[in-house]
Amino acid sequence: MIRIGAEAVVSKLEWNEFKLVSKHRVPKPYRMPELDKWIRERRTLHEAKIMVDLKKAGVPCPAIILMDRDDSTIYLQFIEGSELKKVLDSFPPKIIESIGRNLGEIVGKMHSSRVAHGDLTTSNIIIDEHGRLYLIDFGLSAVTDDLEELAVDVHLLDRSLESAHYPIRELFMKNFLRGYSSILGREFTLKILEKMKEIRRRGRYVEERRRRS
Amino acid sequence: MEGGLLVLGIESTAHTIGFGIASSSGKILANVNYVYRPRDGGIHPREAAQHHSAAAPTGLSEALKEAGISPRDLDGVAFSAGPGMGPCLRVGATVARTLALRLGKPLVAVNHGVAHIEIGRLVTGCRDPVVLYVAGGNTLITAYMDRRYRIFGETLDIAAGNCLDVFGVKTGIGPMPAPEEYARRGEKFHPLPYRVKGMDVSFSGLLTAALRMLKDDVRLEDLCLSITETAYSMLTETLERALAFTEKREILLVGGLARSRRLKEMVDAMARLHGAEVYVIPPEYAGDNGAMIAWTGLLQLMVGQVTPIEQSRVRPRYRIDEAEAVWRERGL
Repeated sequence: MIRIGAEAVVSKLEWNEFKLVSKHRVPKPYRMPELDKWIRERRTLHEAKIMVDLKKAGVPCPAIILMDRDDSTIYLQFIEGSELKKVLDSFPPKIIESIGRNLGEIVGKMHSSRVAHGDLTTSNIIIDEHGRLYLIDFGLSAVTDDLEELAVDVHLLDRSLESAHYPIRELFMKNFLRGYSSILGREFTLKILEKMKEIRRRGRYVEERRRRS
Repeated sequence: MEGGLLVLGIESTAHTIGFGIASSSGKILANVNYVYRPRDGGIHPREAAQHHSAAAPTGLSEALKEAGISPRDLDGVAFSAGPGMGPCLRVGATVARTLALRLGKPLVAVNHGVAHIEIGRLVTGCRDPVVLYVAGGNTLITAYMDRRYRIFGETLDIAAGNCLDVFGVKTGIGPMPAPEEYARRGEKFHPLPYRVKGMDVSFSGLLTAALRMLKDDVRLEDLCLSITETAYSMLTETLERALAFTEKREILLVGGLARSRRLKEMVDAMARLHGAEVYVIPPEYAGDNGAMIAWTGLLQLMVGQVTPIEQSRVRPRYRIDEAEAVWRERGL
């Protein structure tokens, strides 16, 4: 078992020496069975579709191996690596700069495909032994034209750095924004920053509300 | 006669003008409420305000009579400062200011949403719940954390109660509880927009889609079943997320929609998964009422949270997390 969220159970398993991750959306006894099945199936399809689209757009995320629609389960490639949250602080400044910039490019690509991750924190980013980054957990993601939803991603990332990686937050975010604007342009990046300020001003525990899935 | 402190509370945020009297022993001595019923559709703020002004003198004297006290026995006068409709709020605020000045007693501005929660805690006996506050004008999930009732989730557009009321009115069966009663005779479930984003919900797409389906010759009972099941499932799911996140052990349902039997059933089933206890506000305190303002005003008075007259302006957009729940720190 890797994670038990409010709606899904994520476990690691092996199949012919091949490591997999399964994400099973569990039935909720309080919903009518028809509605429950429909919701779980729709969300599973949505998450799978987003991941396939992102992969095509060059955004690194686990590959989908199999989808069991009846059981609302997706089987994903297991990525050998660590949560960025657990290792980020241990890197020297040069590496932090390049991780920041690289993540900026990845999120930039995701946003140019009109996808908002919905829960972008350092716990939802995996770094492998070659320093490659992968985004995981698209359970709250959305295809959107709403600038705010994209800005929420950057805001949540910033908040997760602020709370868990305070000393390197500035260095990381500066380079993140460089990478981000290299994909989406300076003007768009400024709009995102403006929106982030607004979200922060409204500040109402947004971060707490989104941190779990 | 009751010993201890006595506070009069005045509610007038929307369609109800209410006068309640609470004592510091935790008793509600009076709860007198008059509801303005618009002839068609929604509330006209000015008409409602006129209704409130006309009903206020009777309401006040009825409440005093019910409690068996005279105005001089009061230790404070509380009013609902918001959120709500400006013209309506001003009626309650004006009466409260006048009384407070005349009696020389402290004035206490109360947040309407906080009052729904506090009366719920008082009458159900729960201590530290995750609260689902669902009514015609409000849908939010909140819990006490660090001096305030923090908002963990809310509607991004219309309130759940509003969605079901408008659906009922537009289909000709009338507002809640009519849609839920019709739903009991429903047989076939039709998928409708189910919008949950994290702990936030959205109901306007659900309402539009349900009304559109009506034109496609779908049985009204089936549609009622579909819209209520969808709305309640959305609420229960977001509540579940908040419960898991806050790790609290109690759930409290407040507001007009807390009367719904089906919603309670669903929340019960969810709570069993987490070993949580469910408390529901009794019907007489579910809708807007004066008693909840009186009781919350009393809590505020006990911790010295009073309002100078010059700062007693009404706040139509007064969010629940803007009010400091100081008494909670002191274990009240």
